[in-house]
Amino acid sequence: MAARAYLCMVKVSARTVLTYRANFVLGLFAVFFQLLAMLYVWRLLLESGKDFGGYTWPQMKAYLLVAFVTSSLVSAYGDFRMAARIRDGLVSLDLVKPVTYQTARFAETVGRAALELAVTFAVAGSIALVTGGIPVPDLPQLLLFAVSIAAVVPLKFLVVYLSTLLCFWTQNYMGVAWARTSLVALLSGSLIPLVLLPSWLQTTAMLLPFASLTATPAAIYLGQATGGEALGLLLTQAGWVTVLWVAGRLVWRFAVRQLTVHGG
Amino acid sequence: MTTTRPIATARMYRRCLGAHLRAALEYEADFWILVVASIMMQATGVIFLGAVFARIPTLAGWTLAEVVLIYSLVVIAEGVGSLCFEGTWYLPWMVNQGDLDYTLVRPYPVVLQTMSGAVGLNGVGNLLTGGLLMAWSLSRVDVDWSPLRIALAVALFLSAVLIKLSVTLASTSACFWVFGASFMLPTALHQVGELAKYPVSVYSAGIRVALTVVIPFAFVSFYPAAAVLGHGQDSWVGLLTPLVAGYCVVVAGAVFRRGLRRYESSGN
Repeated sequence: MAARAYLCMVKVSARTVLTYRANFVLGLFAVFFQLLAMLYVWRLLLESGKDFGGYTWPQMKAYLLVAFVTSSLVSAYGDFRMAARIRDGLVSLDLVKPVTYQTARFAETVGRAALELAVTFAVAGSIALVTGGIPVPDLPQLLLFAVSIAAVVPLKFLVVYLSTLLCFWTQNYMGVAWARTSLVALLSGSLIPLVLLPSWLQTTAMLLPFASLTATPAAIYLGQATGGEALGLLLTQAGWVTVLWVAGRLVWRFAVRQLTVHGG
Repeated sequence: MTTTRPIATARMYRRCLGAHLRAALEYEADFWILVVASIMMQATGVIFLGAVFARIPTLAGWTLAEVVLIYSLVVIAEGVGSLCFEGTWYLPWMVNQGDLDYTLVRPYPVVLQTMSGAVGLNGVGNLLTGGLLMAWSLSRVDVDWSPLRIALAVALFLSAVLIKLSVTLASTSACFWVFGASFMLPTALHQVGELAKYPVSVYSAGIRVALTVVIPFAFVSFYPAAAVLGHGQDSWVGLLTPLVAGYCVVVAGAVFRRGLRRYESSGN
């Protein structure tokens, strides 16, 4: 019964994206222009012949495209809607619905993520073709990569969800979203491959869930992690999803007590 | 009488902004969240530059200190925009909600009422980071600081900020014509402006032309920096920055006025 309700939410949120497709596409613009700047900067850097963590130009292109896909995922403004509903008290209506709040938000995220994946993979594929191709791993490795990308959806959802819950304490979601975006960009490896960061930052990234967001799928795609090592990385992703899912439920239970609704 | 009017207008602007500033400062936690968040955002860009320049002496002929100057100009322009002209970003919302009606009946230019309609405290963080970066950069670059060059730097950097503000105003004014997509268009354009955080000479000819002629983001950072640093041919183009700024201000003003003439209140 509940499963059908969630499935329905998946479909509705996907349809919402299609209805407001202009906003959806313009929203992807942000990440796209960062990608464009990075592609030009890195081409120039690697042409200089200096060593950047052993990356060749085709490998770096592949890395940037994977980072483009993972940073575009779960960024279609669902969090802003959730933040607004918490702030103006409309979230009280969600409390009376016979579904789990966190699972319902996740269902909506899945619906959007399906479209985000389709669009970003199409964009990444076209860029790869236009710029002269990127290395493509063999089929088993490609399957591992697909699994790691799929794991990014719940993981990133949980990072976004947990930070959005802060709206129960602060009025200002914009600042929270910016701070989170910066942290994720730096510590996930989407800003720059983690090997090029100072070692203390690398260690920090590895100890936190962020590296699972971009560094893991990229390492698997580029074949830097194969076999047992790749499986270990996938298990780490799964572990973080479990831990953060439970954390989300706990924080929600605590956060919802902060809610004050002045009539309505 | 006519000579005092610009001063009266400016004083009025300051008072409008002051009211919004006091309102925004009521939420002290929000202030700190925004300042810290904007510093973090700029810091990630600096960490990127640091990691890159740890392995390479120059990028497209520009040293780290010179690239940081380019970067800081974008950050400062964004900071001024947020702190003093944040209301520009709310124009689509005001048009959509019919809130622009109130501004039409007040004896003060509608465009200035709009621009002073909000305060973005993240601007404080941007100005702090941008100012520090610029100070660090200018103390390291190889420039002979004659009084003339200092005057040139001030004139060019102020023009650069004007260009950024004008592009924002022109793009948000698009909401008078397109209702649906208008909320995202200025943000998307703002992201294009992020390309100007690096020397535009790294890009392909097409993008360089777009950033120079179509939407002159390169004049927010790259060209004025080139002119002040005396960086090859680009420094001559950089001297045009005040002209470009004048052009942008006129165009943005015209777009806003034409849009305003089309404005039909949605009622309130």
